[in-house]
Amino acid sequence: MTGRGAIGLRQRRPPAQHKAVALLLLAPATITLVAWTYWPLLESFRLSFFQWNILPTTPQLFVGLENYRRLLDLPELNTAAINTAIYTFGLLPLTILLPLAVALATQRLSGPMRNLYRGLIFLPMIMAPVVVAIIWRWLLHPDHGLINRGITTFGFDPVRFLQDPDIAIWTILFITGWKLIGFSTILIAAAIAGIDRHLSEAARLDGATEWQVTRELTLPMLSPVLLFLTMLTVLHGAQWSFVYINVLTQGGPRQATTNLYYLLWDYGFGTFAIGWATAAGMLLFALFGVAAAICMRLMSRYAVYER
Amino acid sequence: MNAEAPAIALAPAQASAPRQRVARPPREFGAHLMLALLSLLSVFPIYWMLVSGLRADNDIFSTDLWPAAPSLDNFAYVIESIPIGGMILTTFMVAAVSTVLQLVTGLLAAYAFARWRFAISRVLFALLTVTWLIPAQVIMVPNFVQVSALGLLDTPGALIIPHAASAFAIMILYQAIRSFPEELIDAARMDGGGHMTVLWRVMVPNMRPALASLGILLFISSWNEYFWPLLVTRSVENAVVQIGLQMFMTQEGDQWGPLMAAASLVSLPVLALYLVLQRQIIESFVKSGIR
Repeated sequence: MTGRGAIGLRQRRPPAQHKAVALLLLAPATITLVAWTYWPLLESFRLSFFQWNILPTTPQLFVGLENYRRLLDLPELNTAAINTAIYTFGLLPLTILLPLAVALATQRLSGPMRNLYRGLIFLPMIMAPVVVAIIWRWLLHPDHGLINRGITTFGFDPVRFLQDPDIAIWTILFITGWKLIGFSTILIAAAIAGIDRHLSEAARLDGATEWQVTRELTLPMLSPVLLFLTMLTVLHGAQWSFVYINVLTQGGPRQATTNLYYLLWDYGFGTFAIGWATAAGMLLFALFGVAAAICMRLMSRYAVYER
Repeated sequence: MNAEAPAIALAPAQASAPRQRVARPPREFGAHLMLALLSLLSVFPIYWMLVSGLRADNDIFSTDLWPAAPSLDNFAYVIESIPIGGMILTTFMVAAVSTVLQLVTGLLAAYAFARWRFAISRVLFALLTVTWLIPAQVIMVPNFVQVSALGLLDTPGALIIPHAASAFAIMILYQAIRSFPEELIDAARMDGGGHMTVLWRVMVPNMRPALASLGILLFISSWNEYFWPLLVTRSVENAVVQIGLQMFMTQEGDQWGPLMAAASLVSLPVLALYLVLQRQIIESFVKSGIR
């Protein structure tokens, strides 16, 4: 990012008095980020070796690696980890495949209707997650919800979307994805509109079929935006579902919808097992770092750029 | 959120060049159908929330698209049973103050980063670009302990102070400042302007559109924030709307009419903003490619 944009401001190596000005300007942001992000990260790391119940009056008891050992033996950590993987990869059809299909199928559409559609499908993105959770709780209610009313009119049994342990996680997954379909579609559509028209027209003149143009030209050109969306989903998908789990199922029924983020919160502020919460946090942070590194590598290797 | 935002030309979709219209009705029809269905899926749940809020008690389980006799009783009930007006005011204040703070601290830092490079600023910049890698759940315990040690629990300060700066805002503003024409700055400097003069008198007025769209984005995400307020809020009087809504749901359970009215009230400010600034909001989300 630093390498590009040489047209604009040139960066200089500052003389001493300018260094002081620079540090002064950087101070408010730096102090805030250190105090509320980086120091807490180190403090979490330290706390992960202690047993504590968060009360200032109780002493913190050093237990070494005990928290980590106990944590890795817990069956619920396993469940949460598997569910986290389901949330992470289960979202990809909703945040990538469906939006990609819609954006490709509708790329020729123009005019006022196109802007209307844009305005409508983007709407879920600006809604508050709590509101979204409450709306779907109402729509999916086993007895009175509109969707189950529809299902029962056709003579089927009502589906217990949030109460059935086999279904609940997919319901939460759908609600999480629902908010993002329109956003992804618009992002991909914008990338398609940015591709040079002459390229595809030249290919068609050379006798390429629609499918060939899509596969050989459009998709490779879209790889930056697709990789970006994949990365966003893989790294943040499980975090996005936190609100819905918290508001709708509290991790249940029978741990069916819990994930690592929810488990962490539950340890920290449900049972005040601070040692466990911070140790699990450190494990998650490590996992997250590895996933991010892999994504970055893929991003720089496979992204094809125009020009 | 991602600092490494997609390095592609995200041209607005409506910019599709005036090309000769190839009349292919069946294809067009399929495209319309697809988008109409997706629009319905996106909008209908929100419509159902608004309509359910307007239904009378005996009409709440109706499946008609419009209530037999629309009434505002549910809204009146919500206003009576929770201090929703105060909550909206608190949330508005918290969101507005954090947005302004993030813009100001972001501008100062972005200017310094764009202008000068030296060892310390390089380290700080690197730290900044990886902030998004740290999930809120990983650092929540020390943050909570810190907030309660400062005596900020259950106050707006607990919501504002930790959010006085945002790495995301700094990155976006950094990019905007980097592409600023240098001649303008040099001219202002030659007229004897200090750095503050350059920043406030030359850059800020020219960056108004960028600042406005970033501001809208920060405001909406603050308005919708749930996780951090959940940790530091104790009482319904000091709750922001999202927490108030969650408390109302826990307390009223399956009172669907009032619940939908409360959810509508909480959404109205953002929906109104969207109605007016729809295009700008979409553009700013797409350009920054966040969340």
